Amino acid sequence: MIRSFEKRAEQKISGFQSPAADYLEGRLDLAEKLVIDPHSTFYFQMQGTAMLSYGIADADLLVIDRSLKAHHGSIVIAFISGSFSCRLFLEENGSYLLSNDRGSICETEMGMLQVWGVVTSVCRNVLPKTLRRGRYSDVCTL
Amino acid sequence: MFALCDCNNFYASAERLFRPELNGKPVVVLSNNDGCVIARSEEAKACGIKMGDPEFLVRDLIKKFDIHVFSSNYVLYGDMSERVMHNLGRWFPRLDVYSIDEAFGWLGGVGDLENYTPKIRNSVIRNTGIPVSIGVAPTKTLAKLANKLSKKAGGVMVLDTDEKISAAVRDFPVHDLWGVGRQYYKKFEELNISTVGALREMPEMWFKQHMTVMGQRMWNELWGRPAIPLDAVRDVKKGITVSRSFRNYIEHPDILAEALTLYASRLAEKLRAEKLRCLYLQVFLYTNKNREDHPQHFPSHTHKLLIASNNTTDLVSIAVRVSAMLFKYGVKYRKAGVIASGLVPEAELQLSAFTPHDNGKKDLVSGVLDKLNLAYGRGTLRMATEGFEKNWRLKHEYLSKSYTTRWADIIKVV
Repeated sequence: MIRSFEKRAEQKISGFQSPAADYLEGRLDLAEKLVIDPHSTFYFQMQGTAMLSYGIADADLLVIDRSLKAHHGSIVIAFISGSFSCRLFLEENGSYLLSNDRGSICETEMGMLQVWGVVTSVCRNVLPKTLRRGRYSDVCTL
Repeated sequence: MFALCDCNNFYASAERLFRPELNGKPVVVLSNNDGCVIARSEEAKACGIKMGDPEFLVRDLIKKFDIHVFSSNYVLYGDMSERVMHNLGRWFPRLDVYSIDEAFGWLGGVGDLENYTPKIRNSVIRNTGIPVSIGVAPTKTLAKLANKLSKKAGGVMVLDTDEKISAAVRDFPVHDLWGVGRQYYKKFEELNISTVGALREMPEMWFKQHMTVMGQRMWNELWGRPAIPLDAVRDVKKGITVSRSFRNYIEHPDILAEALTLYASRLAEKLRAEKLRCLYLQVFLYTNKNREDHPQHFPSHTHKLLIASNNTTDLVSIAVRVSAMLFKYGVKYRKAGVIASGLVPEAELQLSAFTPHDNGKKDLVSGVLDKLNLAYGRGTLRMATEGFEKNWRLKHEYLSKSYTTRWADIIKVV
């Protein structure tokens, strides 16, 4: 886990002042793209392959925003029979569906589904095993 | 208009957010060292658990009603509190955070409060998952009162007219009023005043006479005239304390030194965060006063620093030295702490004419310490005298995970 100390680039020069000194900007930070509202964002991790056909693999890191309301087609975290579960949320003919590769549950009332938050993005470590070493062993959760 | 926003059973609610299976079930949270009950869910209140009950006294109740017990997880509560406060801040022109689970908001210039307030409440609940109640009134004292009433009225209570205020205070018990402590309550009882409605009818002079300027303020506040500004209660810090109980008794000076190293390091960190230095460092030790069979010893010593300091090296070495001086063999110590006083702003350092001063170096080291511990987690870099086993550390058998602040602790979903 690394959190940057200073976001803004800083240069100290002993010889000539850099001509770029007046043009320095903070470097791109991936968190700005992944996290829209940090005070409503939580991170969960996928375990297992139940969402594989929706593009979520085992050990993927899920970014969850609680401020969003689930719409048709969104991937959500729901609390189903005693555990948190990642599911696709669908609205069909007035009923609500939560499905994954194992099957789906259906309710006629939104309140009956305990939707905890909406998944906004997925982070994955794509390194082959041989490169997953040392500080690179946990890349997606960096 | 002022709003008081308060998280309902905050610690219990924060625990339940990540354990939804406990919704609707009794939950209690214990204080540091798993001593007393400091938070209860509504269901636990209904089981007869009282605030402050020692854990060993309610053990039977816990078993009987299958109550879920948590040790206090301040890492989690701190982060959840920050989320709630940030979300609240978006709705108020000004917000004054009053405690970990309460904030006063100023609603000047906001119209249609009956509609606006529920929106605040719903948004905070959705975004953070923590249930909040909001009381709105023309003064802070009445907002606090409205907040209390809101808990039984769907979470929102707006007292924006004289009629609504009169109706609200009429039967409100005087001991639940903000600013009424045991002393005032006794006074009211002698005079047979039991409701705020009756209290409010007393003349201003009476308040002035019996409760000085505080009473006069209260009287004005109760009649809807603001007398306490938004951030009035914040006073200048006079001292900073770090103290904790040990898991077991400490009977050896080296172990005691380990504990005091940690406390003094934490104290130095706190001082630096507030940009203050201290001139006095007090160290105190406690034995367990409930054990009459143990020898009792409550020593304390205040050390005066030559030059005010806030670096870890200085404060730790003093704390360790003083603790060795206070320690007596054959005594079982239960608790220890350090208090920094004589606080001066970091920028106003007064040097001594007779001692060389090289704190620039030590301050630099402390700065590095702070940065590394911020980046890599608390305790990454610490003084070696803190030891490694730390058997004296707090007891927290029922500690939940730090779901929002540690990668290893995030929730796994299937």
